[in-house]
Amino acid sequence: MTSKVQHVQDNSVAERRLRPIYDWLDIGNNKKALQECEKVLKKTPNLLCAKALKALTLHRMGKEGEALAILEALTADSPTDDATLQAMTLCYRELQQLEKICKLYETAVKLEPANEELYTHLFMSYARVFDFKSQQKTAMTLYKHKPKTPYYCWAVMSIILQATRGEGKNDAKKRSLLLSLAERMMEKLIVDGKLDAEQEVQLYVMVLELQGKFEEVLVILDGPLGTKLACSNQPHNKLKYLVPLKCWDDVNLLCKGILIESVDRWDIWKEYINSVFALMEAKPYESNNHDNGASDNDLETVDDTPEKCHEFICRIVENGADNGFLLRGPYLARFELCSRLVKCNVDSSDVLGETIELFIEYFRKFGHKPCCVSDLRHYLDLLDCEKKAELSARLIKDVGISSTSVPQSEQQMQRHLCALQLSRLCGAHRNLTSDHLKALVTAFSLHYEHGYQTYGTNLLSTDLGPSDPYALLAAHVLYDLSQSEKKSEPIVAALVLLENMLKNSPSNFHAKLLCVRLYHTVGGCLGAQNMYSSLDTKHLQLDSLGFIHCARLATTGLYSLCSNLFDVTLKFFSSNYKDSSDHITFSYKYGSFIKLDEFMDFRERLNNSMHYTTVAIDRIVLSLVECTTLDTLYNIDISPKDDKIDWEALRDNHDLSVYISWDPERIKGPPEEYEEIRTFFKQNKIFLKLRTSLLWALSAAVDIVKSSDGVRTKYMDQLATILADWEELSTKNRNHAPLCQHLVTLPLPSRLHVALATPHFDIVGRMLRLLLAVVSEGCSKEDDLVEKIESGVKAMVDMIENRGKNSADLIYRRETMEYVVNAVEVLSVSSLICLLCNDLVKPPSKKGKKKVSEASSWKETVVRLANSFKTHINALNEVLQTWAQFSVSSDLALMLESVNLSNDGHNVCENIVNSYVLAVREIQCVLKNKIKMLSSIQ
Amino acid sequence: MTTLRPFTCDDMYKFNNVNLDPLTETYGLSFYMRYLAHWPEYFQVAESPSGEIMGYIMGKAEGIGENWHGHVTALTVSPDFRRLGLAATLMNFLEDVSEKKRAYFVDLFVRVSNKVAINMYTNLGYIIYRTVLEYYSGDPDEDAYDMRKALSRDVNQKSVIPLTHPVRPEDVD
Repeated sequence: MTSKVQHVQDNSVAERRLRPIYDWLDIGNNKKALQECEKVLKKTPNLLCAKALKALTLHRMGKEGEALAILEALTADSPTDDATLQAMTLCYRELQQLEKICKLYETAVKLEPANEELYTHLFMSYARVFDFKSQQKTAMTLYKHKPKTPYYCWAVMSIILQATRGEGKNDAKKRSLLLSLAERMMEKLIVDGKLDAEQEVQLYVMVLELQGKFEEVLVILDGPLGTKLACSNQPHNKLKYLVPLKCWDDVNLLCKGILIESVDRWDIWKEYINSVFALMEAKPYESNNHDNGASDNDLETVDDTPEKCHEFICRIVENGADNGFLLRGPYLARFELCSRLVKCNVDSSDVLGETIELFIEYFRKFGHKPCCVSDLRHYLDLLDCEKKAELSARLIKDVGISSTSVPQSEQQMQRHLCALQLSRLCGAHRNLTSDHLKALVTAFSLHYEHGYQTYGTNLLSTDLGPSDPYALLAAHVLYDLSQSEKKSEPIVAALVLLENMLKNSPSNFHAKLLCVRLYHTVGGCLGAQNMYSSLDTKHLQLDSLGFIHCARLATTGLYSLCSNLFDVTLKFFSSNYKDSSDHITFSYKYGSFIKLDEFMDFRERLNNSMHYTTVAIDRIVLSLVECTTLDTLYNIDISPKDDKIDWEALRDNHDLSVYISWDPERIKGPPEEYEEIRTFFKQNKIFLKLRTSLLWALSAAVDIVKSSDGVRTKYMDQLATILADWEELSTKNRNHAPLCQHLVTLPLPSRLHVALATPHFDIVGRMLRLLLAVVSEGCSKEDDLVEKIESGVKAMVDMIENRGKNSADLIYRRETMEYVVNAVEVLSVSSLICLLCNDLVKPPSKKGKKKVSEASSWKETVVRLANSFKTHINALNEVLQTWAQFSVSSDLALMLESVNLSNDGHNVCENIVNSYVLAVREIQCVLKNKIKMLSSIQ
Repeated sequence: MTTLRPFTCDDMYKFNNVNLDPLTETYGLSFYMRYLAHWPEYFQVAESPSGEIMGYIMGKAEGIGENWHGHVTALTVSPDFRRLGLAATLMNFLEDVSEKKRAYFVDLFVRVSNKVAINMYTNLGYIIYRTVLEYYSGDPDEDAYDMRKALSRDVNQKSVIPLTHPVRPEDVD
């Protein structure tokens, strides 16, 4: 009966029957897929694969429990056919239960120990959970069955990972033992003549590299194995090993050889100059050799002095002179040489002449290229303040455009732009009077307009306008003005200017990024939203650029926008975390062992993203703000990232450098490295900890209410501990200075500051203490607690009312909105706690009557609090009503006039005013629902 | 002035200056990861002296027999670093790798409207091998040119004899 033929036939019949299920799943029609599953299972109730697909379908329909039940039953059947196992693997992967996949294949290989494919899957299942030891064992078993070199290499790689990321990570002895084992295994492969593929040689090199055996690597690169490294064995690869071996002669000569061929290789220039100084150190500088006889053959002589180095640079410059077009490499190499000399306290002018002349020369040669600025930026610190001022003046003069003339060609315009940007970097825009700044804005915007009319009208919509940088500069200067005058009108003026520019140049992402920042500064989040969506950010950009918009949205009160972007962001993170184990299995499959370490780091980087954690928490808080019934509350998962936040590993993945800037601070390096950004990150982390405390506390409170008497004390203890920690955290973090706002390209201040100024703990924490008192049926009446809560809430609402009256300035107004949003959070969560308390004091229906009297006195307290909350929520509601009605001041018109901008800022003003109107509407809706909810407490 | 080096995962955190340009598509993570895992040598980034990403190229090798070839999947240069010969440097690199892999030719697809790119590829020695109808979806769909350049292994330049008829996307292997 069960002959092989029969089996094969069965398979093809089954395959045909299952096909429609796969098709429905592929296009995402789960309902149809489920119907099809049922149909197939009716005909063939024991078709395991159909069951597995049913589980997958059910999971995708959100029926996790049913899916798991099927999977468990299937596991007991010990399937070994590929289709079933694959479907189950997929399902477990989506359920994030990767260990179960290992178990599945462990059983399968026991039943079919000769099945190569099953072993391969078992290996991959271990790779997904980073079980390096089991990986190694499986790979070796596999190799014994099928002696293919790749399997052997899998085993070696698994050993390497044990050394670098497994038990050898913190144990030097283990590490070296494991690595030398890996090395011996690779040597055996060579002896057997089985080392052939490029990836395998790379693996061998990796083993040697990890042990610091660089000489051995060099031998391989030069030997017969080196020829197998066809794609990766380039001459400059040797540098990687020659440098740590301090073979400076070889480094020097190798670099020279490469540079003669390709003069624009910047990495090689740096290594070359580095080697010159290393050689110089070895052979003191005083023997400055004066003979320069070996000029013909100097590719074979080592350059060990700055003079020789300079001569080499000059020679390459001369070679290039007859090439027709200029390459920047050797010219920039001079700067590198100069900066190294300065670092060694050697007077560079002996060799290179006056440093400032280097800049002038470079500018004359390359000033018409936009990259000239970023080339020179890094070296500007070779000049002191005075020289910087001199450079700035000379560059502007060199371009030949005065306050009364305009560029005569597009090239001259680009040179003008470069000169202006460099002079801003030199500090030329610092410490100017308001009038002077305004004059700059006027000049820049006129230049922009002229450049647009002359060179920018016939461009494709995807091109950036050639004169756009003038407008960007003008916007930056306007921001300076807003800082020095402490007013927001210049920011609005900058937005008017940029919005106008974007009409001409709709693809300029620099302008859009700047607009997002500026709109958020003045609370015009609808404008920010428009700009943000036109940037079309997606995928990883949700993390790297999340700070520009998503991270600010939570402070705006625009709950519907928040909800959308939060969900998109969270979906990106969770689905990519699931996929990320696939990339690791791909690496094994294709033998790209060199990428494995990187892939694992990247996976961690993504999962430990600070932004991810922030949004995960914000999403939960938002659900709480919107929650209006206890049932809904019970269904919210209040533990962010399943409480698996690794605080130490959290990292800031934001690409702050995306903001173009010519502020002098940028000379030092990218903003990610600024001290104040590190502080900012720490502040954000404290903010997150405070916020998680609130969530944990509330979660424990819910557990208390939901639990029966037996386990209740456990949760009560938990809540008490969390509250104590939270209180400590909020009291010890009182003094944090907000991130200085003098640079437009840095983020807005951390949300920590407003959060700390809001009585989160004083109100919510006390509410939870009250809940503890209620549940423990404490006899002491907590009047004191109740009064403190009431006065706290009143003070919070009063503060907002005062802020509303205080100032009409938009920057202040934006901050007030952040206070409002915080207050709404406090009120929402407190109201929910009220509801929880109310649930606790409901007289238990069947239990004894003796508690009733105590319960009723608590009942009074809860009702009193609910009424009090209602009163204050109503008060806040009214405050908001009047506060939302405003118009952007007429000062704006004056401002625009003073910098000669056309007075058509209506669009920008509308964006700002409407943002507040819409936010207040959404907030009032939340408040109204809270009042309704509290009214159920009587 | 360029540092050419293999593209790493972390570069995806820094490539916004290139990718925010409207002509450069930002793909889902797994797309990049698959290329990094399968053809790491074909995925290179050009870095400026100040450490910014100036551009990058991603490609692959595929095909059987005389169709074994290198393919350019994406090539992009940041607006600030254009007209410096960067695209040519990156293309040379990819051609070099393809030579070492003993490929017969290198090919790429480009929108028929992208005159600048077509011009550049022509200057680098590529010819229009065929038109692929409605290859790029959009409103309306746009045709692609399949452009090719023969490598040294294709001694008789067989791979670059243009087709006379356009093909449908499903006929492109």
